[in-house]
Amino acid sequence: MSDAVTLTLATQPTHTLVADCIAADRFAGLGATAIAALPVVHGGRPATLGEFFRVRGERASVVRIEGDCTRIDGIGTGMVEGELMIDGSVGRDLGLAMSGGRIDVRGNAGANAGGAPAGAARGMTGGEIVVRGSVGDEAGARMRRGLLVVTGDGGRGMGKGMIAGTVVLFGNAGPGTGRFLKRGSIVALGEVERPATFRYACTYRPPHVALLLRYLGSRCRLDVAAAQVTGRYERYSGDLAELGKGELLRWVGA
Amino acid sequence: MKINGVAIEDTFAEAFTMRVARLLITGQTLGWAKEAAVKLTGFATSVIGCKCEAGIERELPDGETPDGRPGVSVLFLTMDKASLPEQLIVRVGQTVLTCPTTACFDGLPDAPDRLPVGKALRVFGDGFQASKVIGGKRYWRIPVMEGEFLIEETFGMLKGVGGGNFLILARDADAALAAAEAAVAAMTGAPGVILPFPGGVVRSGSKVGSKRYSNMIATTNDAFDPTLKAVTQSQLPEVVNSVLEIVLDGTDGPSIEAAMRAGIRAACRPGVLTITAGNYGGKLGPHHFYLRKILG
Repeated sequence: MSDAVTLTLATQPTHTLVADCIAADRFAGLGATAIAALPVVHGGRPATLGEFFRVRGERASVVRIEGDCTRIDGIGTGMVEGELMIDGSVGRDLGLAMSGGRIDVRGNAGANAGGAPAGAARGMTGGEIVVRGSVGDEAGARMRRGLLVVTGDGGRGMGKGMIAGTVVLFGNAGPGTGRFLKRGSIVALGEVERPATFRYACTYRPPHVALLLRYLGSRCRLDVAAAQVTGRYERYSGDLAELGKGELLRWVGA
Repeated sequence: MKINGVAIEDTFAEAFTMRVARLLITGQTLGWAKEAAVKLTGFATSVIGCKCEAGIERELPDGETPDGRPGVSVLFLTMDKASLPEQLIVRVGQTVLTCPTTACFDGLPDAPDRLPVGKALRVFGDGFQASKVIGGKRYWRIPVMEGEFLIEETFGMLKGVGGGNFLILARDADAALAAAEAAVAAMTGAPGVILPFPGGVVRSGSKVGSKRYSNMIATTNDAFDPTLKAVTQSQLPEVVNSVLEIVLDGTDGPSIEAAMRAGIRAACRPGVLTITAGNYGGKLGPHHFYLRKILG
């Protein structure tokens, strides 16, 4: 048993590599050989994780990934617990339908981070994803619970169809952010375009946002400005074309 | 044993096991947090008449509170498990929820026994309430006219200690009061301890039951009433003309002991003749705080 399992990208995939076997809780019961033998799909063909990653450590629910994983999809799929720290960018479907644990990406993430598998009703149902960069389209789409934090910009349709949970976006939001939101919160600290089906409620200091941002500052060591913690936010209720129990909270300054 | 010429009686304070919760109340200013806490802990001096005992444990600087605002820590005690959530739900709902700018957090996060206080109060939101999980804890956001009231879903409950005490026997009422005030000042802010009575001081110590009224569960402690020295089996020396009591509740025995040590030392001042403590012969409460041992 090790303190952590470290995966170092040794061979850059030439095609998209679907590595949905990488999840912190899954590695907790596996030795290094078994981890290396986990199945992946490379360009539509079956392969093993060991063909691309050098594996150090075993039987640990803390997993570190080193290397540029932009071409690697599905990291953290279905994760239930544990910690997954990625030192580099990742492809699409990060933390797909995860239900617990924590994923921390020091780079960008592709589309559908924290989202739902194709055809599924729910995206992530718990846990935390922190992306210290930007995300692709539809990050947090249909998420049911949990927390998605993006320090960079969001793509199109961020939080689309969210059922609940929280998205915090430090950068600018892409078009269609929050559309079809049923419940849940999107906290926008940068520019955001309000969907037409959201209605302005008030400008106030939401106490849970202060608590959340302080948590992100202390737990995740994110650079949160005091004015964001104690500042005022415009609250837009929506999506009124859906349940209308969600909210878009737009920071408007101290 | 004497401290500053004040005799410390060779006796002990007898205290009881109670259930305790710690609430952290924050506000936009310390003043608003205290306002809520004072109302919350009002009429909570003794379980005999109030069904609970509560008090402000200490003031919390910005850096010590979950939301980074100034706040106060409050301890709340009852005799049994069932009545603690009942009291908290009613009192927090009427005093903290109603108070501008405040939020309410659990101060015993590691306690396995959880009381669903926020969970019960959420329904004030009439369906418009929403919850958020932050750092593994669930909070309820209850919409109110001012904005939102934030409260943690559950609060921890531990076994605590209630009824730690000592009595200040003084030459006159002025000396007793001055000593009591000095003791309270020395104990204020002690971690894990509250003084539930007004100003931390009790002038009407009681005995169990009544000599005359069968329906009374507690009546005046005539053995320590100076005006009754001539007509009852008094425990007061001739020169004692006033007695005040300090009652302490807390999260644990060592916290009570530490506060008693500080309080008794501060109370040993001119005009005070003896420090003693109240007990029932050791038959009722499992916690015995021996004065000389504490001060030794």
